[in-house]
Amino acid sequence: MIRISKRRGQDIAYGAIGIAAFLGLWEYIGVNQLAGLTWPPLTAVLAFLFDPSRQTLFVRATSASFSMVGAGYVAGGVLGIVLAAVAHLVSPLKEGLGRLSSVIHSIPSIALAPLFIVLLSKEWSGMAIATLNVYFILFIATQSGLAAATRAHHDVFTVLGSNRFTRLIRLEAPAALPAIVSGLKYAVPAAFIGAIIGEWFGATRGLGLLMVSAMQNFQIPLLWSAVLITSAGSLMSFGLMSLVERFVYARYR
Amino acid sequence: MPGILKTAFNRYWGVLLILVLWQAWVTIGELNAIVMPQPADVVVDLVGNPGIYLKNGVQTLALAGGGLLLGMAFGSLIAIACWFSRLATGMLVPLAMIFSSVPVVALIPVVARLLGYDIKTVMAIVVIVSFFPAFVFTSAGMRALPPGSEDLFQVLGASRKSRFRHLVLPAAVPNWMIALRLAAPSAVLSAMLAEFLMGQSGLGYMFRAAAGDFATERAFGTSVIATAVSVITFTLSQRAERAVNERWR
Repeated sequence: MIRISKRRGQDIAYGAIGIAAFLGLWEYIGVNQLAGLTWPPLTAVLAFLFDPSRQTLFVRATSASFSMVGAGYVAGGVLGIVLAAVAHLVSPLKEGLGRLSSVIHSIPSIALAPLFIVLLSKEWSGMAIATLNVYFILFIATQSGLAAATRAHHDVFTVLGSNRFTRLIRLEAPAALPAIVSGLKYAVPAAFIGAIIGEWFGATRGLGLLMVSAMQNFQIPLLWSAVLITSAGSLMSFGLMSLVERFVYARYR
Repeated sequence: MPGILKTAFNRYWGVLLILVLWQAWVTIGELNAIVMPQPADVVVDLVGNPGIYLKNGVQTLALAGGGLLLGMAFGSLIAIACWFSRLATGMLVPLAMIFSSVPVVALIPVVARLLGYDIKTVMAIVVIVSFFPAFVFTSAGMRALPPGSEDLFQVLGASRKSRFRHLVLPAAVPNWMIALRLAAPSAVLSAMLAEFLMGQSGLGYMFRAAAGDFATERAFGTSVIATAVSVITFTLSQRAERAVNERWR
């Protein structure tokens, strides 16, 4: 049985009131058209979203976008962790890789649009931008995590004569795990942003495309529905990663 | 001198490699300029048309910078207002956390439709994007006071107002600077995305126009300026953070 302290319970209650107030305000503004015709009530958006006749449209767009998010998340995560480990092991490469990563990161993703449209087919630019966004976060997180093992632990490994590789696997990798998992958590919204931006550059399906065409054609409920699906997806994945993070922090720190 | 070159090479070999690969790829593949421009052509276009780059670059920089400061101001003001009421903090902090774990740029089409296709809308989007980190970090800073300091104020019989003025507000400043540094890149990005989607003016619009005309050297030139704008904003906010932290600690 988990015991919840009084203050914690109060926090949860206040948070719930806040969220309920937000949703209520959304509905109220929509119903009374305080913000004009372009602000639909929440119930109208939900009704539009769950209308059976639009199931195929939303399922197709969502699966297209979320598979780009997932692929970019995995690719960027693997790339970031592996390259940070390489930079950690091969010190001549360290500075160059770090600089290259931060130069690429300082290019706003929209500035990469022409490159992706030329290099890859438009279908993949969402995944590519998601990959880059996630890559940078994980590169930085892994790099700082690998440096987190304490001096004393390092000394033990030196005294026992372990080689570089054993040290990485048995000491530095477990010590880096909390930082990596935190990186993975913060990479979730970044992956979604990347995929959506990529689709704005001219994908032929996906939620990003749905948003742009709905915006241009004044399809207000469709526009809000696409935004709602994206936000809900990001929020749920973020929540999931927060749970994983809590578990890893309890075990490895 | 060779020493400097060596450090420069050690730091920037990755960037150099990309430029060489780009040039080699265009030359070996004999690509048409419509498909992929040469690095040199991009430079020529940049130097040849400084006016249009400057005008749009300055506009985007001003919108991003202005929106960033305004959003930060709103965020921290509301965080301060919330400090006086536990109910308000309890209600707003979870909401702000939700918003900061959601891709806020996805709201750009919604805001564009709500406010109309206008420069003011670009500004509003930047304000919204910068609001959340400012709010979350300022309210976190106001609650994470140095250990023992609160007891000291209690013992000395400080009023709630003077506790706020002399303890809580100064404690929040370093966090405020972190929020500024984190919000700066996304402010620039969202300004450009809004311009891209609405297609009125600014750097974002230049991408769209250039891509539509197959003017690839213009598109890549815009990328260079966009990166410069982003780096300028980021560097300025980083400098500000460092300067404040040196004075504050």
